Formats: sequence, C-alpha cells, structure tokens
Amino acid sequence: MSNESSSELVVKPAPFITSPITKNRLMQYTFFAILAVTVVSIALWSEVTTPSGWNLGLTVAVGALIAVGIAVVVDLLIGKVTSDSEVNIWSAGVFGLIVINCFSLGFPSMAVGLETGVPVEAPLAFFYIALISLIGIVVFKKVMSVAGRKLVNPAAAAKFLVLLPTLPTTLITSFHLKTGLLQVPALSGGISATSIVNGNGGATFGSYLQACYGLPTAQSPASIESVMFLAKYHGWVGGASSIAVIVAGIVLFAIGRKYFKWKITASYLISIAALSLIFSFLFVDGDLTTRLFFELFIGSSIFMAFFMATDPATTPFSGVGQIIFGIGLAILTILIQTFMGFFGGSLLALLIMNLTVPLIDRIRIGKPFGR
Amino acid sequence: MANLVEIKEHKDVARKTPIEVFPDPKVAVVLVNQQSGANNKSLVSVGDSVIIGQKIADSTERVSAPVHSPICGKVIKIADVYNSCYEYATEAIYIENDGKKTKDKTLTPISEAALKDTSKEELLKRIREAGIIGMGGAGFPTSIKLSIPADKKVTTIIVNGAEGEPYDTADERLMIEKTANIVRGVRVLRKILDNPKVIVATKETKVEALSKLQEAFGKEPETQVIAKHLTYQQGDASVLQKAILGYETPPGKRSYEMGTIVQNISTLNAIANAVFEGEPLISRVTTLNGDVEKPRNLLVKIGTPIVDILSQNNIDTKDIANVVVGGVMMGTALQTVDSPVTKRTSSVLYFAKSKAKKGQKQTACIRCGRCLSACPVRIQPIAIYNAVTKGDFAKAEKLWAKDCIVCGTCSFVCPARLPLASTIKMARQ
Repeated sequence: MSNESSSELVVKPAPFITSPITKNRLMQYTFFAILAVTVVSIALWSEVTTPSGWNLGLTVAVGALIAVGIAVVVDLLIGKVTSDSEVNIWSAGVFGLIVINCFSLGFPSMAVGLETGVPVEAPLAFFYIALISLIGIVVFKKVMSVAGRKLVNPAAAAKFLVLLPTLPTTLITSFHLKTGLLQVPALSGGISATSIVNGNGGATFGSYLQACYGLPTAQSPASIESVMFLAKYHGWVGGASSIAVIVAGIVLFAIGRKYFKWKITASYLISIAALSLIFSFLFVDGDLTTRLFFELFIGSSIFMAFFMATDPATTPFSGVGQIIFGIGLAILTILIQTFMGFFGGSLLALLIMNLTVPLIDRIRIGKPFGR
Repeated sequence: MANLVEIKEHKDVARKTPIEVFPDPKVAVVLVNQQSGANNKSLVSVGDSVIIGQKIADSTERVSAPVHSPICGKVIKIADVYNSCYEYATEAIYIENDGKKTKDKTLTPISEAALKDTSKEELLKRIREAGIIGMGGAGFPTSIKLSIPADKKVTTIIVNGAEGEPYDTADERLMIEKTANIVRGVRVLRKILDNPKVIVATKETKVEALSKLQEAFGKEPETQVIAKHLTYQQGDASVLQKAILGYETPPGKRSYEMGTIVQNISTLNAIANAVFEGEPLISRVTTLNGDVEKPRNLLVKIGTPIVDILSQNNIDTKDIANVVVGGVMMGTALQTVDSPVTKRTSSVLYFAKSKAKKGQKQTACIRCGRCLSACPVRIQPIAIYNAVTKGDFAKAEKLWAKDCIVCGTCSFVCPARLPLASTIKMARQ
C-alpha cells in the first residue's frame, strides 16, 4: 500500500474552512431588511392619493419594482457582455431598493394646489426613479468598480446627479422660503414647536413639520413626535416610519453585527443629537425637542444612517475610521441643513464624506501586537 | 483581545477517542528535513540497513535537529517527495520494513531520580540528539529554544494545552492518556530553566483533560493549572502568553526575553520519552478527522505515507477533495497522498469530493473591514493584501506584514473569500 501512487490533488492555501458569512448572504440580509422598510412605507402611504390621482403606496410599489428591476437587469446584462464585471443580483437588488427608499415622494398638504414641477408623484416620478437606477448601476456601481473601487455611494450620487438641474425646486427649501411657495421656516434661527421664533416664513417649525409630513387628509394634525417617529407621508420613501427603519436596522446589525458598519450609524446619530442640542442652545430655540426630532428622524437622516452611510464599499475600513466618518457626516449634515436650507442635506454630506475615505483609512490608532 | 473570532471546534467525537497504535508502514518515507533552521544531510545510502531509532540525517549547524529511522529495514531509495513542512518536494529516505524490532541504543535513558543530578547541558544534548522540534507546527529545534543565554532568566513556563486548531485532538488525548509523561517533560524543562513557575493552560472545553491535568500536576511545585475560555487564535504561543500573563511579546523578540517559555504538549511528551526512555522522536500522535466515518487519534511512525492511513480507514482515494495536514486553519493541503507523516503532522484531515459544499467563489473586496477587527495581532490584512497584489512589498512591510502569525483568521472571516492569509504569508517570505 505504501507504494501505491495516487492522483494529484487540488491544492489551495489555508485555511480550509471559512465562516458561513458570504458577500451574497450579507446582501440577502440587507435586501430583506430594506424590503421590510419598503413594505411598511407602501402600507402607510397607501392611505394617500396625490393630486394626479395616483395612490402613493402603489407609487412606491411600482417605483420599487422599476428601481430593482432596472438594477438587476442591467447587472445581468453587463455581466453577460463583459468578462471582468462581477454579477451580483442581490447587491443590485439592494441598490435598487435604496434608490426607491431615498427618493422623495408625496405631496405635503401645504403644497396641494401649487404647481411646483417637483417629481414627487407618479407618473413623472417613475421616470426619475428609472433614470437614477440606471445611472447609479452603470456609472457609480459598475464603471467605478471596474476602475478600482466605488468612490461614492451609488444611489446617493445618482440621485444627486439626476436631480441637480432641479436642485432649487426639489431640494433647497430656502428657495421655497424666498419664493414663499411652501412657507418653510429656516433652521438658522430659533425654532419652536408652537411659536414663530425666528420670524422666517409664516409657520412655526412645528406646524411646518405637521403640515409637511402629516397625513394630508387628517382631520386634525398629529403630534410632532408621532409624525417624526411613527408615520410620515412625505419625503424619502425609506423615512415613512422612523421606528420601522430603526427596528429593521437593529435586526440587521444584530444578525451580522461584525460585518455591518454599525459604528457609523451610532456615531452619526449620537453626533446629530448632540449637535441639535448645541444648536438649540445657540439659537435659543423655544424647546429642545423640535430641532432634535427633525434632525434625527427626517427620512434623509434616519434611513441614510442605517442603510446608506453604512455601505461597506464607500466607508472606512477600521472601527475608528467609521466613528470619524459618522461624526463628520453628522457635522456636515447639520451645517448643510442649517445654513444652506437644504433639508435632506445628508445626501450631499454623504457624498463629501465618501470622498474623504481614502484619507480616513490612513488614520491608525493603536499599534500591532507587541509594538 | 475582545474581538477574537470563535471558530467551531469539530472535536466532539475525536476528543473522546483513545489513542490507537497505527501499524508500522511497509515502506517508511522519512523526510531528511522537517525542522526550521539549517538543512540536514542524509547519513545513509541506498542499500544500507537501519534499525529503529538510528540517526539517518543530521547537520553540523547549531540550529538543526537530526532525523531517525522509525523502523528496522533497508534503505531502498533516496528521492524527493512532497514535504508538507515546506510545501514543496524535498529529499526523503525510503526504508523497506523488515519487520524486526531492533532498536538503536545510542540515546540512553536516565531514571527520574537521576534528573536532579543531570546537568542542563546534558539534557539539552539529549533533546537535540533525539531530534525534537516544536511539534505544534513551528518545527523550531527545541534544544535551541531552551538554550537561554546566561544573562536571561525564564520565570514562567506556559504549558500550551490550548490546541486551538479545529478537528485536532492529538494534544488533548495526550493530556488525558499521557498526563504523567507530560509532568515528567515539565520537570525536565524546569530543571533546564532553573525551576521557573509553571502554568498549565488549557481550554475549558477540554473537561476530561483538565481533570487529569489537575490531578497529575496537583503536587508539582510552583505549578498552576488554568482552564480558560480560549479561542482558536490563542493556541498561538504569543497570543496565549497575552491571554495568560497579560503582556505582549514584541515581534522579533524571543519569548524568553520576556521571561517566558511556551511549550507544546506533544513536544513535552517527546522530551519525556527522549530523556527517560531513550527514545528519539520517531513517532507522534496525529488526529485523523474531517469527512471520515470515525475520527481517530493515531500513534503513528514518522515517515508513514498518508495514503496508508487513508487506505486503512477505507477512504476512497478517488473521492478525495483535499487532504490537509497540520490543521485546518494553518495546515497544508497535500499535493499527493504519498507524502509522509512528519514530526509536525498534528492531524490528517480528509475532505471528500462527495461531501464538498458549493462555496462562494472569490469576489472583489466589499470593504467590510471584518479582517481588521478579527486580526489577533492588529495588523490590516486587506491593506497588506492590496499592497502585495499591486507588487508593492515595501508598503506591505510598512503595514507590518511580518507581524502576521498566519493564523488564517482574516481569510476565515472574509465574506469575499479573498486569500488574505496566504498572500500575507507570501509577503512575509
């Protein structure tokens, strides 16, 4: 037996066992977490019909199918025609869901009757969703991956690029303020739930929140806490219910705790809360909660904190880097929203912070074992 | 160390399976070099007759360890064969077994009572002449490891009973069945190192071994038996030292410079055999595990072809996906099952094609950073990997690639299945 010759074996390097966590599995977990958020948004928003006659829940559902469908089909097509592009259907699906969830839909009750040209309802919204998904998957996911690595969050970058021409009307509320369209109070002064403190616009910040995010058909406005925490009917699809985002996010992080960059979420939210309170003192707000609730729980803040700021490809490697990233993101977001009047400024803040990642990755705190 | 990765042990059956003596091979394939350090030269020629324990390869260099014949017989061939210690083919002496049991008596045993009157130089010489090397995998000549400069003082011996590698239970069974011999090995070490204190460290999961160790070491002077929750990575000497004593040995420094010697269980058993039985290192306990029907712990002669072990266990050689020796995390996949058992073969792990799960293929890094948080020596595996794949070895060195202990944890956790550990290992070399 000793001299029995055997066939050559396939040799590979150690280790010969691996953790059950794979890239695909992480993407599947993420997909289902965001899908749960999307389903909650569809359910909540099915109560609303926009001036064009489209049911808002249906709009979200169709928009989700369009965003995910385009992303997956393009991913498969690129995979077919190129040899060096990696097909990852789950990753494309996650991207598609993020596209729909970071898209602003809904018609605030205070804007009903106004023709703003803003793509916040079907069928115009579908065109924008499709365009964002297409540009995002092709330019910011595939081309950048082939070129080396993704520099910026694909969904955020694509949305910003597509909506850039309509920036004043879609994103920057100071424009509305100046034109008197929506009567939005600015954050760069004292605000309050019940009184006009800073004199901007004709509404208190509290009534703005209720009118902008509350159920348009409600007989009486819901409390600010209820609107910001439980159910919003305008803004980012993914922000319809802050509690849904928080629960889905925490479950996701608990399942894949060591793989998801929860430190970014934690440091971002803590920093946002701290900065909100500081600004409340600086601007002598009428109360401490209105600014805090706005900054923490608008869709662009809470959804981004859990599902966009934690995109592994465009964020720092190390735990310390992730904390720096989260803090930087919070500072930029607060500054943009406060002084540019760009509500939803986290999108721009995220893109800027994404570009700082190569620098943050150079920071090293602590030394290797024994040094 | 809070972030050390837990890896499933896969030891439930093997740890309860007593050591069995594996039959001597019909033809032993003894590798001339199995140690770290200087290369040996063959001392025999084709046609020579050899007896059990006869030295058949050695070096005149200091950092070396001789090799002995495991069986009685005739040298029929000297040729290269795949050497799992180095992961390439090296010279081996093929000895045809004549079935005789004649033993070489060059290495004379001493009695336990005579230990106190035996000089440390004499003990070190016996360890050297017995060909003992680190049997946990490193393969460093033990006599050199224990030759502490006169101006240094070892204050603590850590007996490494962690055996972190999944599937491997050779050390655990030795702790259960050869406890008294391990105690004798530790006594030899204490004598050589001027009676430092002893900490016997094992994992809390090795329940039976712990009980035996506590019983056997209970009356030994300045000796403490510790069972801790230890992860796989803490089987590494430096990481174990941190877990037990709380300090880290700087890379490049020998552990004795920090006052500590960490010694593996199999090696202690071999030391006791050499000193008190006059037996050179010609056999070792190895665990047969993986996709086998029944995991076993085998006392096997060094030089036994792996194919003999597989055949005796009814393993279909056509269904082999991999045969891994020396541990599933840090070991080597054999190029051929004709490769023999070496002094470092702590386990033979067979994985069948028919049971292989379809795993994820290697993909691009997703930058999750998991390899950073999982690394027990706090280097940045993915950054080093990126530097090496771009050919920037200078950058890899700046990123402390040489500090890597090649534990494989980074590759284990990587969701993109990047070969991080093997790439860093290449950079170190």
